[in-house]
Amino acid sequence: MLRDEGLVELASDFPADGDLFAAGLDSMAVMQLIVVAEERFGAVIGPEDAGRENLGTPAALADLIGRKRA
Amino acid sequence: MTADVLVLGAGSAGLAAAVTAARAGARVILLERHGYAGGMGTASLVHTFCGLYLLGDREPVIANGGFPAEMAERMQWATGDSGPVKMGRVWVLRQHPVEFVRIADELLRESGVEVLFHTEALTASRESDSWSVEAICRGRRRTLRAKTLVDASGDAVLADLLGAASEMTESSRLQRPAYVFGVQGAAGGEDGLALAGRIVDGIRRGLLSKETLGLHFRRSGRAGEIFGTIDLSGAEEGDYDPLDAACLSRLEVTGRSVAAAAVDFLRKEAAGWESACISHWPVRAGVRESRRWKGRHVLTEAKVLGGARHEDDIALATWPLEFRETNRGPKLRYPEHDRAAGIPLGCLMPESLDGVFVAGRCISCDHGAQASVRVMGTCFATGQAAGLAAALVADGKPENLAPVIRKKFPFGV
Repeated sequence: MLRDEGLVELASDFPADGDLFAAGLDSMAVMQLIVVAEERFGAVIGPEDAGRENLGTPAALADLIGRKRA
Repeated sequence: MTADVLVLGAGSAGLAAAVTAARAGARVILLERHGYAGGMGTASLVHTFCGLYLLGDREPVIANGGFPAEMAERMQWATGDSGPVKMGRVWVLRQHPVEFVRIADELLRESGVEVLFHTEALTASRESDSWSVEAICRGRRRTLRAKTLVDASGDAVLADLLGAASEMTESSRLQRPAYVFGVQGAAGGEDGLALAGRIVDGIRRGLLSKETLGLHFRRSGRAGEIFGTIDLSGAEEGDYDPLDAACLSRLEVTGRSVAAAAVDFLRKEAAGWESACISHWPVRAGVRESRRWKGRHVLTEAKVLGGARHEDDIALATWPLEFRETNRGPKLRYPEHDRAAGIPLGCLMPESLDGVFVAGRCISCDHGAQASVRVMGTCFATGQAAGLAAALVADGKPENLAPVIRKKFPFGV
């Protein structure tokens, strides 16, 4: 999803616990990410969820989207 | 009024060109439509110098010697910043628009440039042995003559006035404009990811418009002050055309209304934003791309990505290709092995005119290469090269321009 939407450029072997912010994800891309998560997965990510602990790695992000899917 | 060199536009490229030409001994007239110099870095509140440093993981190294290095030094002294900061993979130097205005005034005064603010060029033509430019200030016309011209207008205005070849990318692919504004009273408030989430939440609840997506804030370096930046689609109503006053007017109004609604919303909902207010509107929205000259050399995207060098290079293009063809944030493409491409003097020389040089974002290149060369650090470099070339030609020394420029303003590896 991150690659498809051009939110951040990741190598094909980017690990599930890799640091997305170190890879170039920034607050602007995070806004797009929240919109995409809602459009594609129906996961509503609120302002209280928008932190590094939830968005910092692909694994954490997948977990957050899983929890937020209605 | 008669001069050796006439420079159109006092943005980063025109400032560098005028100061460099004057220091080389030329009598220089500089025309500027605003009441101060600096262009995008002052009137549009763009608050970082990009393109000053070489790419790569090592310590920041200034790419182009001469004026770019001098500006970096003067700006650091003015802002008190300790040095450049790394944003993702690139080094940038934070700059303050108010300091930029002051530095530009000093540089122009010290170098003896004759500046005409509040002035636009109306016509340009060739007379027997000089160029004639009709300039207009509040309806009053005056004719200016110069041996050589530098077009640093950003929009290749002189190409149009002289009937010379130029081109512009189709509307749908043009880089989108930025709208930057100043905010006071929120410097200690919610920021970063939490604020991004807050803004998306406002859009989701219908309290903020979709244009607000992408709004982000950065500290200005001054107490209590931050800058907000919105990437506009430019096509709020109809096609984006950065040379059309009606389109530009819509941009300004949209930028202000999106910014005002966002700050009102954050004042009510974001912690620490209770007393935030907009303290500074830009004079104009920040246009990234418009008309370009067709020169003797056209720098292409492939050459920039391949780190190509040319015999007549006069500066390096160190910024990655920064595409902003949508208002969904930048897409960066880096040259192979982080090797900066050279910008040949041919990109600064119109196809079929002598005694005219081009500098800044409207030099001769394609859409992709322009995404690299348009940034202020690179504009300082092409500006000083065009300024020195114009001074030399005006002085009757048109030979070996590129080697002379390179010797005076060496660039990195």
